Amino acid sequence: MYKAVVIGGSAGSFQVITKILHSLPKNFPVPVLLSLHRLKHVRSGFVEALSIKSSIPIIEPFDKDTVKAGIGYLAPSNYHMYIELNKKIALSTEEPVNHSRPSIDLTFETAAQAYRDKLIGIILSGANRDGAYGLKKVKQLGGTAIVQDPNECQVKTMTEASLKMTQVDHIFTTQQIIRFLLNIK
Amino acid sequence: MYRYELGIVDTRNIIKTLKEDFNYDFKNYALTFFKRRVENIIRLYNLKDTEGFLRKLKSDREFIEIFLKEICIESTEMFRDPSMWRVLREELLPKLLANTSSFKIWFPEVSSGEELFSLNILLKQLHFLDKVRIIASSISTKKIADIKKGKFLARKVEVNDANYKRIFSQGELSDYYKVDGDFGYWDADLVKDVEFKVDKISFDDYPKGVKFIIFRNHMIYFNQILQERCMKMLNNSMVPGGHLIIGNNEKIDYWNSDKDYVLVNAGESIYKKKLT
Repeated sequence: MYKAVVIGGSAGSFQVITKILHSLPKNFPVPVLLSLHRLKHVRSGFVEALSIKSSIPIIEPFDKDTVKAGIGYLAPSNYHMYIELNKKIALSTEEPVNHSRPSIDLTFETAAQAYRDKLIGIILSGANRDGAYGLKKVKQLGGTAIVQDPNECQVKTMTEASLKMTQVDHIFTTQQIIRFLLNIK
Repeated sequence: MYRYELGIVDTRNIIKTLKEDFNYDFKNYALTFFKRRVENIIRLYNLKDTEGFLRKLKSDREFIEIFLKEICIESTEMFRDPSMWRVLREELLPKLLANTSSFKIWFPEVSSGEELFSLNILLKQLHFLDKVRIIASSISTKKIADIKKGKFLARKVEVNDANYKRIFSQGELSDYYKVDGDFGYWDADLVKDVEFKVDKISFDDYPKGVKFIIFRNHMIYFNQILQERCMKMLNNSMVPGGHLIIGNNEKIDYWNSDKDYVLVNAGESIYKKKLT
């Protein structure tokens, strides 16, 4: 029933993301959209680092790429990543939101508009409030909102801000997030 | 946090008014982008909603210019992607400019001017500034006026300076600007010979015989129809053997024009138009 998963995180989320990507089956039935805070002047290296253990291909999409199941799309450095209603990637160099470009809020909000109730939004460990508003939009438009258990997070700011703003569906540990994703159809 | 959200019907109405009353055709801008931009403008100018926006547009003659300025995205920073500028400085420009007396460069949308000032600082250091003729187009007369004054947002200084140091081992970027409050001012001499052109979105008036086009991260705001039209215009503008630079995560192979180009530097998205 789900059509996409969107994941946001910043400080302290790298290992969690790596574990999740490692645990997914090769033929994961939906696309995984990754909006992660990263150094803007370091363009290369991140996608390679994520790819090492990932069981699905991870790419930094080009503008207007069509989103496909079983592929991870990492927001490129110094760009916002939107999902258009026709399920294509749109990149943007608009001003940073919450000091961030890519902004998690923007990826989540546009993904929510594109996938409505067929979207799973997951907020992981992170050091600012970016993502909280985006997760709220996911929930508002009928999607499933998940937050990593703040007790497990290296940095709690992002998850706690998300929990404050939204009545989420699940507060999950990394293992629970993985189990949940393995069961989606 | 409350944010006004534009519906599809509202968006269509706004696009219709801009076309019918002002002859600006935003129909083929990327939808998510356009919608978000207008939402920002509504919030920024306290216009409340679509009605308020349309009322302002129709009652205040100046507002269309404000709209065009706001819809046109600021370039993010000076020397965005320092590695691209290093390629220009160390390889491409010295090679291309060594044996030529006329070299036409075009910025199809100069936006807030960071790419133009970056290039001109680089050309000045290479002593090439008098060998080139630069044309800079924009849909926004306000943006062009700001560029002529050299005006930029002072909050960008830190990022700009850091990028400069990633390219140049000598001097400081601050040799070229002064800060006064919220704004910085580039040495306006850097752009004194640039020819500025105000351009509607129609693409029917473009410079000919261009050898070098810098158009990074702007076609991402168009849908594929407009991208294709734009690409045809760039192609008509440019001489065979000319170079086109687009943004790192942009491609031109969606609309078949890639057969006319060779990707000479994949990492920096530098294309060369084939000779035949």
